[in-house]
Amino acid sequence: MSGTERAVSAKPGTPAPPSAPGVHPKPFWSFRPRSDREAGDAVVSNFLLHWFPAKTYKPSLDWNYSFWLGTASAALFFLLVLSGLPLLLLYVPSVERAYGSVKDIEFVVTFGSWIRAVHRIAAHLMVAAVFLHLVRVFLTGAYKNGTGRGQRREWNWVLGVVMIVLTLFLSFTGYLLPWDQLAYWAVTVGTNIASSVPFVGPEMRELLIGGRTIDQATLLRFYVLHVIFLPAGLGALLAYHMWRIRKDGGLAKADRWTLGSEKTEAPPAKTKTWSLLGVARGQAPAIRAVTLEAADRTVNSVNDLVRRISIVVLGTFAVVSILACFIPSPLEEPANPMITPNPAKAPWYFLWLQEIVTDTTLKIGSFTINGAFLGGVILPTILLGLLTVWPWLDRSPAGAAGIWFHASRKRQNLVFLLVVLLVLAFTIVGTFLRGPYWNFYWPWQAWPELPTRI
Amino acid sequence: MEQRTSSPYPGKDRPVLAVIGVLLVVSTVVFAVTDHRKDWRWYQAEFRKMVAEKFGAEKAATLPAGMKQIWVKDLGRADRCITCHQGILWKGFETAEHPWKTHPVEPLRTHPVEDYGCTACHGGQGWAVESEKAHGPVHFWEEPVLGKAMGEAYSIQGDDKGALMQMNCNVCHRYDRETKGADLINLGKKLVNTKGCRACHVVNGRGGTIGPDLTYVGDKAAEQYDMSRLGGQKTAFAWHVAHLKNPKELVPDTVMPSFGFGTKESQALAALVLSWRRAPVPATYRPGVPRTDPQTTEEIAEEERMKHGPGAWFVSTGCFVCHSVSSLGVKSAAQVGPDLSTAVEDTQKRFGKTVDDFIRNPTGTMSVVLSRQIILTDAEKEVAIQKLREAFAEHQKQKAEPPSAH
Amino acid sequence: MTTKTDPPAGAETPSAGPNSRRDFLMKAGIGAGVVALVGQAGASLRSLVPNVSYDAPTTVKLGAPVDFPDGMKFLPDERLFVFREGKTFHAISAVCTHLGCTVRAEALSKVEEASVEGKPLRLTHRFQCPCHGSKYSGDGTNQTGPAPKPLAWYHLSVAVDDGQLVVDLAQEVGHDFRLTLA
Repeated sequence: MSGTERAVSAKPGTPAPPSAPGVHPKPFWSFRPRSDREAGDAVVSNFLLHWFPAKTYKPSLDWNYSFWLGTASAALFFLLVLSGLPLLLLYVPSVERAYGSVKDIEFVVTFGSWIRAVHRIAAHLMVAAVFLHLVRVFLTGAYKNGTGRGQRREWNWVLGVVMIVLTLFLSFTGYLLPWDQLAYWAVTVGTNIASSVPFVGPEMRELLIGGRTIDQATLLRFYVLHVIFLPAGLGALLAYHMWRIRKDGGLAKADRWTLGSEKTEAPPAKTKTWSLLGVARGQAPAIRAVTLEAADRTVNSVNDLVRRISIVVLGTFAVVSILACFIPSPLEEPANPMITPNPAKAPWYFLWLQEIVTDTTLKIGSFTINGAFLGGVILPTILLGLLTVWPWLDRSPAGAAGIWFHASRKRQNLVFLLVVLLVLAFTIVGTFLRGPYWNFYWPWQAWPELPTRI
Repeated sequence: MEQRTSSPYPGKDRPVLAVIGVLLVVSTVVFAVTDHRKDWRWYQAEFRKMVAEKFGAEKAATLPAGMKQIWVKDLGRADRCITCHQGILWKGFETAEHPWKTHPVEPLRTHPVEDYGCTACHGGQGWAVESEKAHGPVHFWEEPVLGKAMGEAYSIQGDDKGALMQMNCNVCHRYDRETKGADLINLGKKLVNTKGCRACHVVNGRGGTIGPDLTYVGDKAAEQYDMSRLGGQKTAFAWHVAHLKNPKELVPDTVMPSFGFGTKESQALAALVLSWRRAPVPATYRPGVPRTDPQTTEEIAEEERMKHGPGAWFVSTGCFVCHSVSSLGVKSAAQVGPDLSTAVEDTQKRFGKTVDDFIRNPTGTMSVVLSRQIILTDAEKEVAIQKLREAFAEHQKQKAEPPSAH
Repeated sequence: MTTKTDPPAGAETPSAGPNSRRDFLMKAGIGAGVVALVGQAGASLRSLVPNVSYDAPTTVKLGAPVDFPDGMKFLPDERLFVFREGKTFHAISAVCTHLGCTVRAEALSKVEEASVEGKPLRLTHRFQCPCHGSKYSGDGTNQTGPAPKPLAWYHLSVAVDDGQLVVDLAQEVGHDFRLTLA
């Protein structure tokens, strides 16, 4: 008989029926595989595990290479979908009832305030996580191709840029749904910035908000975008993103081991094909194979990779769950188109843009630079454009892929970090240092007391 | 033995995973407990004890448990006050402490709880089920409970410290000249009419244009007031009180004269002014709105005559809805059926029956009417027959009489 | 190539002392995590069970007793027949027990005096459903047609605050129920 595995037979004593190649003979896979082959079995037979290779390079598992930010982002996305499901059935997307339904979730739905807090905290953390993931990938040059044949890491990078835009848009559409003052005016500011695009700006804005004013049409469009189209799009791109990772041979860090590894002879494997010769002489032709896998550099995905992924995913869940017990979700007054709150701020991840818009609205003589257009459209478009095409502009060698702060990429890394720090600085200024009328207030300076009705 | 790659990871990672498992349990327990520990459970348990003590365990068992709300669809309010305030409709807890105290009966006669909810009158955040969030003042909820606490804070003059609540009364009672039970507001309205505010301001839709239109001034946001010259707490209410006492102090370039209002008058007017809001009050909630098209005096007189005249029986049974009985002065608006003055003859002519038989065994439309709409007992049927004969007799008498003006 | 014939040193042997305790604790931690996740999933499901009702309230005020003359009165909003005999009231639902249509009342040509569940009852009407022809007798008992059960009788009481008749559409009572005014 060839080297095929004997299946576990149903009745002792009777020979097991031959298993077809690729068919998993046992009903369950093992999470404590006792051999490499059992570990590989699990990857082949479980649907969720199919996306892993049988073996993972140890360097890929390092905490301090990638910080597992990509996994954390995916975990947060998953958590958002899960926490969004009950909210989907509790929230009412009507301008008359949206606010009340959110109040209901906060007060009378069992665990409602916790579910809402989980959703909100996961959303903010996801924006932060995908941003940090982008920074990490840039600084390690992981968008570069290594030595593999047919690697297209630059395309994966572009996918990632699209995904961060989708994430921001998901957060933005979700922000409007409570229909309170915060939501309403944040969307007003955001869509007004969008309308400053020349020629198509106003039409774009009208299409987005379903009219000229932010009203029921806007709420419905944002709601459907937020619960159907954007998550589906992001999910599909996530799947594609992961598929590309596999196609490109895993994390960029692992490329180096293929660079330097020697070919080692694998033990000759018996084939399953029969030749007349084999039958006649009792010998089957053997395959002589070489493997590039450095055996001392790899471990079984099941269970080492799976375990680390579980740590990141479950750890994310645990952290978000605990934070959600202590950080309440804000809800301001019901949306009132007649009254603009002072100050009216965009969500924190857009505050750097809002800050830049104010700073670029300048009067030079009698000419006013349109800050909304300059800071709100031109600048982000340039940044985004540069970001997207950077892999093709990067001239560093292939060996720089997957290494933190590689010498050949020092200059681009520095410039990138500078931009990142500027963005963070503007965000901090916009969040903490801007008060009513967008005046500048140091953190220790009290804002003017806001009057109330009675 | 099959090949098995050694790995340093299980030893490192399994403890971490176990810790995370514990963290997950901790977080689950924390949020589950936080969600369960709510004050309303204690308030309900206490009330159950109070009712059991006073009325017995059987009555206590009828008390609802859990979060309760009054959903007033027309006003768009879901008030959860009754989750804690369970005693409002129970007689016997008039001297109990809040939240178990019985509600004063008088206002509820005209404003039943199921039609008005609680917050429409008292203010507060009806959505909430916790005391501080429901009663306020709460950041971002601009309608705190207008009760005695608020009145004390503003040193409202007079014995009724809960008078500020009348601001909410006036949202519906706006066009009353005087509302029973709303003395603070009534004082304000009297002052508006006697001091000539309409000379300069539009009030309730009419007035002068020298000063700003006050029709919806209660909707003006607090941020839109210039509080720079206002001392003390910066609220819209305080601004109005100060402004009414001495307009020039708050608005130096104003032409509004000082009327010499004392604190009491200023507070009354401030409360009145803040109640002038653009509130969508359904017509059925507005006092004085006609519920039907009014009858003319002639129509009323006619109805009175028919109800007490000789044909009163046909009116009280409802026969007159379709039938006139002209000999007895009963006029039907619809006149669907024939005049019953000649019923005695008609039943014979049309159905070949005496009126007695017809009433006892009706055919056609009358069988439907008399089986579903107008149910007469056997005794009543005899009365009907007798009345029809009376009508006929009267009809023949009138025919015989020389015509005279009726 | 590392080929081990024995289990590698890093693996746990359940029978060994300190390792087995660690092993147990780790298993307990991971198991606890699984339980916690199931708990959180359960919490999400529990959040979908409504705590407060936006439905019309089931205890409905019907009006003052004086608005109910002797005999039968049909209340279309509550789908209820209210019967009065002097000071005694009872209420029968007009919802057909077959598929929920509103039945129609038809006055009996001759009033019957019957004894229903041990108590006397004056039957003045019978009921008929226009949808599929179910027929009910004067106390709501289903007689012919597809109706599987008699018409429901609902609890009547007098409101403490204003003395109106109150029906509790969530509380069914037997055919011997009577509300007798004081």
